[in-house]
Amino acid sequence: MSFLTLQNIQKSFGPVQVVHNFDMAIEKGEFVSFLGPSGCGKTTILRMIAGFEKPSGGTLTIAGKDQRPLKPNQRNIGMVFQAYALFPNMTVHDNVAFGLKVAGKAKAEIDARVKEMLALIRLDHLADRFPYQMSGGQQQRVALARALAVKPQLLLLDEPLSALDAKIRVSLREEIRLIQQKLGITTVFVTHDQEEALSMSDQIGVMNKGKVEQLGTPKEIYSTPRTAYVADFVGAANRIDVSISDANADGTAHIQLGGASILARNTLPAATRDGILIMRPEDLRLSANASAEAQALPGTVVKRQYLGGKTSYKLALADDTVISVESHGDNHDGFDIGTKVMATIDPSKAVVIAS
Amino acid sequence: MNLQRFGAWGAILVGAVYFLVPLIGTLEFSLRMRRDGYSLDAYRSVFSDSQFHQTFGYSMLMALLTIVFGMLLVVPTAYWVRLRLPQMRQVVEFITLLPLVIPAIVIVFGYLRMYNSSSILPLTGSVTGTNILLVLSYITLSLPYMYRAVDTAMRAIDVRTLTEAAESLGAGWGTILFRCIFPNVMSGVLSGAFITLAIVMGEFTMAALLNRPAFGPYLQLVGANKAYEPSALAVIAFAITWLSMGLLNLATRFSKIAPARA
Repeated sequence: MSFLTLQNIQKSFGPVQVVHNFDMAIEKGEFVSFLGPSGCGKTTILRMIAGFEKPSGGTLTIAGKDQRPLKPNQRNIGMVFQAYALFPNMTVHDNVAFGLKVAGKAKAEIDARVKEMLALIRLDHLADRFPYQMSGGQQQRVALARALAVKPQLLLLDEPLSALDAKIRVSLREEIRLIQQKLGITTVFVTHDQEEALSMSDQIGVMNKGKVEQLGTPKEIYSTPRTAYVADFVGAANRIDVSISDANADGTAHIQLGGASILARNTLPAATRDGILIMRPEDLRLSANASAEAQALPGTVVKRQYLGGKTSYKLALADDTVISVESHGDNHDGFDIGTKVMATIDPSKAVVIAS
Repeated sequence: MNLQRFGAWGAILVGAVYFLVPLIGTLEFSLRMRRDGYSLDAYRSVFSDSQFHQTFGYSMLMALLTIVFGMLLVVPTAYWVRLRLPQMRQVVEFITLLPLVIPAIVIVFGYLRMYNSSSILPLTGSVTGTNILLVLSYITLSLPYMYRAVDTAMRAIDVRTLTEAAESLGAGWGTILFRCIFPNVMSGVLSGAFITLAIVMGEFTMAALLNRPAFGPYLQLVGANKAYEPSALAVIAFAITWLSMGLLNLATRFSKIAPARA
C-alpha cells in the first residue's frame, strides 16, 4: 500500500466544485509535484492533506491511517508556506524550536535538534537573528528547518520559491531537493513553475480544473505528454491536427504533413486515425539542404527572433501550417526570413496523441 | 510659497495658543495659593488628601482590570474575525463604534435598569457587583479604541498563515493565541491599554451614577468646593494623559524596531 493515498477526493466551496474525484498514490520517500496554473485546485489538495480544508468526499490516508478525523495539529505534517510564515516575535532558534517545545521535548534535546537543523540549512551562525533581519531566501530556509525539526511523516511545500528572486529560487530548489533526498522524507510540492517541477521531482502530477491530467516522471511528462493540455502547459509545443496514414505494430505511424511524410510515435487507440501531432520546437533541427530527406519537413522562414543562446524561428510549410523551431549551437541565427530550409525531427521526439 | 508657509505657521501658532494658554493659565493659577508668591501648596494639599489617594488608587485598579479583561475580550474577537469570520468584520466594527455615538449616560441608565437589585442579575445590589459593572462599563467605553488598535496591529501580520504554521507544528489554540499572535500584536495591545488608562482615569458619568469612589467624581467634588486644588488636579490629570500618550508613542516605536511580518 502506498504511503500517501488520496482516493476520489472532492472539494466544493459552496456551489463551486474545485476538486473532482482526485486520485493519487505516493510512495514513501518520493518527491511529488502538483503542477498547474492558478485556480487548478493544487493548493486546495495540499491544504486538505494538511488538514486546513475538509474534503467534501473521498478518503485520505497516510501510512494506512485515515487522516480525515484528525486536526492539523494531530497529523505530524511539516509545511512550508509561500509567505515564509516565521513567527516575527521569535529568533531563528526559537522558530525552529517551536514545534519541539509544543511537543514537550527536553531543553537539551531541543537545543541539539535546532543546532542540527540549522547546520542542515547552513544558517547556524544566524540563530539569534529575528526574521526581519534576514533575506527572503534565508527566511524560507529557516521555515524549512522549522518544518523538518519535528520529524514530520510528510513534508508539504506550498509554492515556497514563488516569493524569491530568480537566482535564489534556483539555488534554493537545489538545496531543498538535496535535503529531501538526504532525509528521505516524503514530500508534496505545489508549483506553477514547470522548471521547478521538472528539476526537483520524482513524479509530477499536471493538474487542470481540479483533476490530474497526467502523472509521470519529469521525462515522461515532457517527452510523452498524454494530452494537448499537458503538452501545452509543460514546455512549448507545436500542436498540429493530423490524420495518420499508416499505423505500425511497433507503436509508430506515418503522418503526411506539409507535403512530406514523417514517422512519429503513435499513442492513439487502434482504429483511431485523427489525432494531434506534438513536436517540441527544440527537437526540430534546421538545415539549408534543399533535397528531400527522411523525417524532414520543407518550409520557409517567415519569422526570426534572436534570443542570445538560441534563435526562435517560425516556418511556413507547404500546406501553410506554421511551426516553431528553436535553433541552438554555432550560427543558430544563420537563416534569414524567406530562406527555404528543412526541419528534421527524430521519430522518437514526435508523438501523436488523442485530440 | 512664502505666504503658504507663513499661513501654515500662523495656523500652528493659533492652535498652540488656543491649547497652551488655558493650560499655562491653569498651571499658573495652581501655583498661586500663597498670597506672597508662587508655591506648590495646592499640590501639597491635593497629595495630602486621603481621598485623593483612595480615588486615584481605585481608578488605577479599575483601569488595570478594564485593560486586562478588555484585552481578553478584544484580542480573541479581533483574531477570530480576521481568521474565520472576515465577512463579519464590518458588523463587529460597527458594534465596537457604538459607544462613541451612544452617550455614556444612556449606557449607564441602561445598565441600571438591566442590573438593578430586583433584576435577574442584581449587580448593583453589592459593592463587588457594582465594581464589576463599572469595569464592564469601562470596557464598553474603551471598546472603540481597543478594538481598532488591536485590529490595526493584526492587519500588519498574516494571521491566517501564522496560525496554520503553528497548527502544522502541533500547537493548540491557547499556544497559538498567547505565543504566536498576542506577542505580535503587542504594540496594538499597549496602544489600546494606554488610551484606556487615560479614559478611565478621567471618566465621570459612569462612576458617579454607579456611586463608586473614582477619580473623576473626586475631581468634580474638589472643583465644586475648593479654589486652587482643582487647577492642581487638572494639571495632574493632564500629566497622566500625557504620560499615557508618551508610553503609547514608545510602544509604537517599539513595533517599528521589530516589524511584524509574516
